[in-house]
Amino acid sequence: MNKILITLILGFVALNLQAQIDRSKMPEAGPTPEINLNDPQRFELNNGLKVLVVENHKLPRVSIQLLIDNPPILEGDKAGVSSFTASLLGNGSKSIPKDDFNEEVDFLGARISFGSQSAFASSLSKYFPRILELMADAAINPNFIEEEFEKEKQKLLTALKAEEKDVSAIANRVQNALVYGTDHPYGEFITEESVNNVTLFDVIQFYEDYFVPANAYLVVIGDVRFDNVKTLVTKNFMPWTKAVPPSFQFSKPLNAQYTQINFIDVPNAVQSEIAVESLVDLKMKEEDYLPSIMANFILGGGSVSRLEQNIREDKAYAYYSRSRLSDDKYGFATFKAYTGVRNSVTDSSVVEILKEMDKIIKEPVSNEELINAKATYVGNFVMALEQPSTIARYALNIETESLPKDFYKTYLEKIEAISVADIQKAAQKYFSTNNARIVVTGKGSDVLNNLEQLTFNGKKVPIKYYDKYANEIDKPDNSVTIPEGMTAHDVLEKYIEAIGGKEKLSEVTSYAIKAEADMQGTKLNLEIMKTSKNQFMKEIKYMGNSISKEVVDGDKGYTIQQNRHKDMGEELLKDLKEESAPFAELNLLKTSMEVEGIEVINGKKAYKLKLSDVKSTFYDIETALKVRDVMSVNVDGKIMVMTMDYDDYKEVAGIKFPFSITESMGPQKWNFIIQEIKVNEGVSDVDFE
Amino acid sequence: MRLRTSHIIGLFALLSMSTTLAQKVSYEEYDLDNGLHVILHQDNNAPVVTTSVMYHVGAKDENPEKTGFAHFFEHLLFEGTENIARGEWRKIVSSRGGQMNANTTQDRTYYYVSFPSNNLELGLWLESERLMHPVINKIGVETQSEVVQEERRMRYDNSPYGRWREQMYINLFKKHPYRWQTIGSLEHLANASLEDFKEFNKKYYVPNNAVLVVAGDIEIDKTKNKIQEYFGAIPKGKEIQRNTFTEDPIVSTIKAKYHDPNIQIPAIFLGYRTPAQTDREAYVLDMISTYLSDGKSSKLYKKLVDEKKKALQVFAFNGSQEDYGAYVVGALPVGETTLEDLKMEIDEEISKLQSELITEKDHQKLLNKFENNFVNSNSSISGIANSLARYHMLYNDTSLINNEIEIYQSITREEISAVANKYLKPSQRVELEYLPQEATVN
Repeated sequence: MNKILITLILGFVALNLQAQIDRSKMPEAGPTPEINLNDPQRFELNNGLKVLVVENHKLPRVSIQLLIDNPPILEGDKAGVSSFTASLLGNGSKSIPKDDFNEEVDFLGARISFGSQSAFASSLSKYFPRILELMADAAINPNFIEEEFEKEKQKLLTALKAEEKDVSAIANRVQNALVYGTDHPYGEFITEESVNNVTLFDVIQFYEDYFVPANAYLVVIGDVRFDNVKTLVTKNFMPWTKAVPPSFQFSKPLNAQYTQINFIDVPNAVQSEIAVESLVDLKMKEEDYLPSIMANFILGGGSVSRLEQNIREDKAYAYYSRSRLSDDKYGFATFKAYTGVRNSVTDSSVVEILKEMDKIIKEPVSNEELINAKATYVGNFVMALEQPSTIARYALNIETESLPKDFYKTYLEKIEAISVADIQKAAQKYFSTNNARIVVTGKGSDVLNNLEQLTFNGKKVPIKYYDKYANEIDKPDNSVTIPEGMTAHDVLEKYIEAIGGKEKLSEVTSYAIKAEADMQGTKLNLEIMKTSKNQFMKEIKYMGNSISKEVVDGDKGYTIQQNRHKDMGEELLKDLKEESAPFAELNLLKTSMEVEGIEVINGKKAYKLKLSDVKSTFYDIETALKVRDVMSVNVDGKIMVMTMDYDDYKEVAGIKFPFSITESMGPQKWNFIIQEIKVNEGVSDVDFE
Repeated sequence: MRLRTSHIIGLFALLSMSTTLAQKVSYEEYDLDNGLHVILHQDNNAPVVTTSVMYHVGAKDENPEKTGFAHFFEHLLFEGTENIARGEWRKIVSSRGGQMNANTTQDRTYYYVSFPSNNLELGLWLESERLMHPVINKIGVETQSEVVQEERRMRYDNSPYGRWREQMYINLFKKHPYRWQTIGSLEHLANASLEDFKEFNKKYYVPNNAVLVVAGDIEIDKTKNKIQEYFGAIPKGKEIQRNTFTEDPIVSTIKAKYHDPNIQIPAIFLGYRTPAQTDREAYVLDMISTYLSDGKSSKLYKKLVDEKKKALQVFAFNGSQEDYGAYVVGALPVGETTLEDLKMEIDEEISKLQSELITEKDHQKLLNKFENNFVNSNSSISGIANSLARYHMLYNDTSLINNEIEIYQSITREEISAVANKYLKPSQRVELEYLPQEATVN
């Protein structure tokens, strides 16, 4: 009776409260939920393979993970060999052809994938025995064949090409290469050259050296029974031959001696990727591991971090702005603060990142920040337990990182014990604005001017330049001055001299050029004829059909565009008449012109002459040869810029002609290769009718 | 080898009989007086609770002159409310160990937060605040519009192949708002007034246009009371009038080109307009997509990547949406292969689908794959919360969380062929050549 009454009263109280919730106050948290941290079950095979099993029967599925915890491997001039190993593993086994293997895995609705020193499989638990068998067979008896190797090579080379202009791929590569050095396992990267150095034999060697059970762990999670797992794993992995991988020592990479900007020019970038990075020696087993990652969390570890608040929420420079403090049991970890910002705020963002780093080094964090950070770690820890993989991961960490056995059982206490002073000590130890590399990958012409002026704490930050492969290069030189006394006349004379001399050129009364370009497998043909009698003809054929023709004969001219005949207007006629001279430069000698400037054309410096309002021509400073024409042309009322690049000069009848002409307009580009040039023959008046 | 073949046949016989054993997701659903639909899912295995709200507003509800609003709100509604100061939202979530995020599609906007289960009430408070009285002011709008600009630069402009979807949808849809992307137009956002945003909020952020899901380590009765306390007082909004858009069928191939400065390897994308996701035929197209390109033994992967080595990658994307979908299949060439060649190879496989039945074994393979996906789809509390909201709001049938697999299981080989014939004709598609941008002019 009494019990019922009490429940009723409580019910009324609850009803009353309902009307009175105070929305202006954040609701209090209830009592901390209890957590259960079980240990996985385990056993070990004679060959050294350690097996962890987490039974979880909530869903009828299972995952199997094989991890080989070897020390870092330097691949050197064969960088890419591990990548080959990963993609060639899992192509069936010595006894199961690839197609049958793939077919069966897919048929079971399962997945099996391989890394160079790992494997992963998942399936419904009813197929566990077969999937385990297939995975073990593919891992222990791999099917390495030349044909697959060649195929992977093509794919790898194409993939490399695919990311040539990818700003974040370039940024990632250079950031690692600069902080570790390219002769370190974590800093090296694959190139076309290194891929071509790798042979199938190297892959087999790599597999035999490193795909061995000494440091291997197999983790089975899901709707399985331990005894059954033990029987099946023993049966399937027993044949894996016991072996220990070779080990190497690496010289420790060094931090930059002073804070500097390392700039990589990527002209297509619309955002700059910025990373402020340095090497640190942080291991999970160190006493200060947890305070350190918490210091990083406060600085840039999530959406409430200082970097994100400052650069995204306050300044709105970027979509994200974070920092990462990695750990590495071999001592090769890094700290990195990074963001991707619009070009115009690149320098300001660098300064803001450095300021935030400086601040967390010099000033203690607030109590509130610390309490909130702790709450996040506690929350994440509690919520991670939802996934059965968590306890396997914890057990693996204890094992591979040499952590105390109770590391995770006492995790919450350790988090609770962290003080403001611990955080500051960690920040001072692991973050640095004195010897950081500020790696900026972006569009030089937009961002360099400001970056060069960048100062931090009253000091100018020096800047070094690197190419996309982390080689140091000279500053891209845009400010060359024209030598004293150099005139357009000189440039033209030198050019005329270089291609054969005034005398030889004046003897030319006509020439005809035939060239061909390849457009996705179909041919584009170009024919040009010129005479000293103001005659000019240019025709382009696509798959044998004329698609464009321009003809000038003295004072008349016409064009045919896609079968439409049109007489030339006066203006076009005048322009083309000037073009029609076999060597227009001879006539130009008589006019007076200035050298406009010096620009870099295809990596080489060239003088720029402005021949008319719509045309400029570039002559190489060293060779004096013509390297580019740039023209504005009117296409259906739209002004487009057209460039013609000239290259591969060869002599015909004592005169040098370019044998490669590359025409580009907008996104289109054709490379014409000259097939035939006839001088003073093969051209008659009929050609200009 | 002979042994193995018989093994497959043996398994095959076995599989045909086996039934799905995945755990049923239990749930309870009801409406509050203000029209808010509520779905509860109790699972006390782990001390985690997810609170989420899905609003039935996406890019397709936008005015063509004001695109990008729905996604912009996903940013704006973290700025603060009458009781949560600007910039505090993330701190509050983090200070209780929670995780939160949001996302927008062309059909809906979704917000979720997960906490250790002692913070259920905090989750309800946050989401009810967002709905009840968000603060929409100048500083929030200005800040978030710059952040969104950077998001666009990162996801679309600076990213290889970042604009294929945009380019495909412009061509697939002429009348339907699916023709623009959720990120919308930066210009529209820049020109929008504060009033425009307030208007949008008033129209779509109302309880009768939303579903609330609370999932995880909860007690049902207590949770119901709390929901009433936090959400009950929010006034019902006006009923939303939605426009319908009917596209004319595509009757001749639409050819399109796009030049991307961030790539070196071209790609071909073949896109077909498909029916609404609730349509049975959309499920059939899902199976077709899997048949052609999911897994190493799938037809296109095996032929193009593996055997003929013509493609670096083949991919298919079956974008299911409320009004129409898009099935897009494509490939990246290796070496000298032309896009035309890849197109022919893809067409060959599609026309086989149209003219012959797939084998019984391939059909069974599809069923096995979908069974596997089904079991894995309900593997986390936050995933279950999302599925419950989606099935209720966009399919009008919450029970699909447990039953959708039966639809796939009922699809016959004949239907697969019929649907391939109905939707995948070359004359019905967009052929998008996605090309590198050559030679930037000085």
